[in-house]
Amino acid sequence: MQERREGGPVSSETPPLFGKTRFLVGLIDEFLDKISEGVIIVEMGIRAYLIAHEESEICLEKLNQIIEVKSRCSELRRTIVTMLYTEMLLPDARGDVLQLLGSLFELLDEMGDNYQELMIVQPRGLPEFGQDFADLTGMAIRSVQAVVVAARTFFRMPAAVREHINEVRVFEDESDKIAWRLKRRIFAAELSFEQRFQLREAVVMIDSMADKAENIGDDLSIFAIKRSL
Amino acid sequence: MSLIVTLIFLSSGLFLGWSMGANDASNAFGTAVATRMIRFSTAAFLCSVFVIIGAVTSGAGAAEGLGQLGAINALPGAFTAALAAAVTVAWMSKVGLPASTSQAVVGSIIGWNLFSGSPTDLATLRRIVATWAISPVLGAIFAMVLYKLLLEWIRLRQPHLLVLDRNTRTGLLLAGIFGSYAIGANGIGNVMGFFVEASPFRDVAVGRFSVSSVEQLFLIGAIAVAVGVYTYSRRVMMTVGDGLLALSPLAAFVVVVSHSLVLFLFSSTALESLLAGLGLPTIPLLPVSGSQAVIGSVLGIGLLQGLKGVRQIRWRVLGGIASGWVTTPLIAAVIGFVLLFVVQNVFGQEVYLPHQPG
Repeated sequence: MQERREGGPVSSETPPLFGKTRFLVGLIDEFLDKISEGVIIVEMGIRAYLIAHEESEICLEKLNQIIEVKSRCSELRRTIVTMLYTEMLLPDARGDVLQLLGSLFELLDEMGDNYQELMIVQPRGLPEFGQDFADLTGMAIRSVQAVVVAARTFFRMPAAVREHINEVRVFEDESDKIAWRLKRRIFAAELSFEQRFQLREAVVMIDSMADKAENIGDDLSIFAIKRSL
Repeated sequence: MSLIVTLIFLSSGLFLGWSMGANDASNAFGTAVATRMIRFSTAAFLCSVFVIIGAVTSGAGAAEGLGQLGAINALPGAFTAALAAAVTVAWMSKVGLPASTSQAVVGSIIGWNLFSGSPTDLATLRRIVATWAISPVLGAIFAMVLYKLLLEWIRLRQPHLLVLDRNTRTGLLLAGIFGSYAIGANGIGNVMGFFVEASPFRDVAVGRFSVSSVEQLFLIGAIAVAVGVYTYSRRVMMTVGDGLLALSPLAAFVVVVSHSLVLFLFSSTALESLLAGLGLPTIPLLPVSGSQAVIGSVLGIGLLQGLKGVRQIRWRVLGGIASGWVTTPLIAAVIGFVLLFVVQNVFGQEVYLPHQPG
């Protein structure tokens, strides 16, 4: 597993004649690892931007890393989908697994796009709300991380998924509260119309990560109920 | 008696074998195929092979049990009784009533006993009827215990979804093989039990190996069962999966194992001698209904899930099945009696040999 992560893409390899299950388990684990990695990179990138208030070298580095992680995740997902169908694995849960992996990939993709958008727009007036944005980012990221943990749990202990889903909901709720407070502060401040809307867009973008995580959590709780024995 | 006449008389047994193959294969592989865990072609091949092995190597035990109920001593009589059972199963399946091959067979033997004036061994009949009540109960108990143990194992080991899927698939395959073997060993008594007393074959010895007339009968019967599996069991398999209760692949595995265990208990001569050797009471070697064991196992899994499971059971379907358990032997006895009358008086065949006094 470690070798694979260090030694380049797995999906370009031919699945082994024996031990296909272990191979596929490795691919799914790697996919979830990459999603987690991507989430951390996005968080680091946003925090670096909030500190620097501009597009720094670190921000660009993180952007490139996200693009790489997204590309690897996409490749892994395609391989997993192909193998699940060609090997006729998980006939009863295949649809759920594919939907889960697809949603997680979409989440990472959207997070990457939002980060990229932030780099392009570079909303002015951020320093004034730096701490609020950092809080919002932290809470939204925690929500996303909780849903990734829940997804990982789904594969081994479907009954325990509920606890993680609950965490996702709590973080999403907190994220909404921070976003609401932040928007009110933005519109109460002495800012131009253009600045207000740029900052509001940034709040919505960050908060949407938590919303998306909650949606995945809702689907996941249904998948877990279906799997509960 | 010429070969052609012999084959004509055997044809009703083969018809019964075919219908049993079409129906009972679903007990071994139905849930696996319906849940798409195993391909039909794989299931049909394995089922056919192991039904034949089970019938030829262990078929004698259960067939002897039927022989005790009533010894049909003339080939035309055996033909008619098997035809009555086959017609009953086919007719009841056609009108959508669940039928059990073994019950139809018991009914038709009693029909022959009544027609020929032979006494019905009431003790054996009581034992057979008792198995009809015991086999679903045993199936339910086995399923509940096995399912609980499996859940506990999964809770402790926490296998990955894919690993669990692979293990369940392998388990279904092995359980299906075991189930097919049990169908062959236990069910062949239903198909060819009629002809044991009036076997048209002779023992054949080739060098040090000898094949008895009964083994030859069972082989032909098992081939008919295999043809039934290949030609007509697919549809039945697909409907078994969620007929009474929608099953997960894991529950499907438990159902097949429980069914096989019940069949094995009632057909294993080795187990009988082991119990006898230990001074324990033996289990009667009788052909039991695999469908009853499967239904019992499915119910066991449903009941294990408490009120939620009870609600999910389709009680109307279960009611239909239970009524079939009562009506099948009765209908087979009546049809058997009528057909014996027709064969004897219209076709002029001797359907039973008069009992020798003393």
